[in-house]
Amino acid sequence: MSTWANLSFQNSASPIMEQLIFFHDHAMMILTMVVMMVLYLMWTLMENKQINRNLLEGNTIEIVWTITPAIILLFIAIPSLRLLYLIDEISNPFITLKTIGHQWYWSYEYTDFNKIEFDSYMIPSNESQANNLRLLNVDNHTVLPSNVYIRVMVTAADVLHSWAMPSLGIKVDGTPGRLNQTSTMINRVGLFFGQCSEICGTNHSFMPITVESVTIMSFLN
Amino acid sequence: MSGSVVAKLPKPQLKGLLAASIKFHLPIAIFVSIASGIAFKFLVCEPRKQRYAEFYKNYDIDKEFERMKQAGVFQSVRPD
Repeated sequence: MSTWANLSFQNSASPIMEQLIFFHDHAMMILTMVVMMVLYLMWTLMENKQINRNLLEGNTIEIVWTITPAIILLFIAIPSLRLLYLIDEISNPFITLKTIGHQWYWSYEYTDFNKIEFDSYMIPSNESQANNLRLLNVDNHTVLPSNVYIRVMVTAADVLHSWAMPSLGIKVDGTPGRLNQTSTMINRVGLFFGQCSEICGTNHSFMPITVESVTIMSFLN
Repeated sequence: MSGSVVAKLPKPQLKGLLAASIKFHLPIAIFVSIASGIAFKFLVCEPRKQRYAEFYKNYDIDKEFERMKQAGVFQSVRPD
């Protein structure tokens, strides 16, 4: 989860989020290069002794400053597309989690082995303990095994919702009448938090998600 | 007038001033850009990748699970 003054991504808990963070670093590197070049050129614009006020065009430099940004964009687009297709790769999931968004809570179904269904409501601030995380803790955690592929199917029962888990790099819209699917693998054990990410009414900010990642043996038991 | 030799100043450049300025400053701008990119890569990108590699190289999932279980973090398993 984020702590105060956190500006960057949360530490990743899935391989996809790791790759997203590395891609973000790559894009920031290109951004830094462009900004430093522009800053230097702006400085030279101020600190020069040119006095010609009648310049209108310069064919060569106009071609250069059209082609160069296109090449720079290629360096951003190619890794981006690689990652996009990596996210959409079909895996062989061990388990399927069905997530249904309601106003204003999430309900989950595990139907692979036993038929387990439960609702997950936020614990209100006035009922939470001192060691609880305000606005993030829920009454029933979503327990998932670590180091296996998990298929998550997201839908909604009433209005648009969105199931988001920043540390897993997941944000999937829950649309009424539609099933959206994503796949993830959780690298480590622990608690991971997310919040509804599509405006859905008064308590849109108060329907968090808590995923409890446990070892596969513990999950099966 | 006096008969002494008057030194002449060299003729200043009168044309192509902008092109000359661009030819001087553009390589410097490209160098600044590449240097900042390399600095960002080796000060930010590579250390982050190393930190992730180090973390997962020595990560013992069962030990971490036991530690968190005993701390009472999980709902599905309670501490011993």
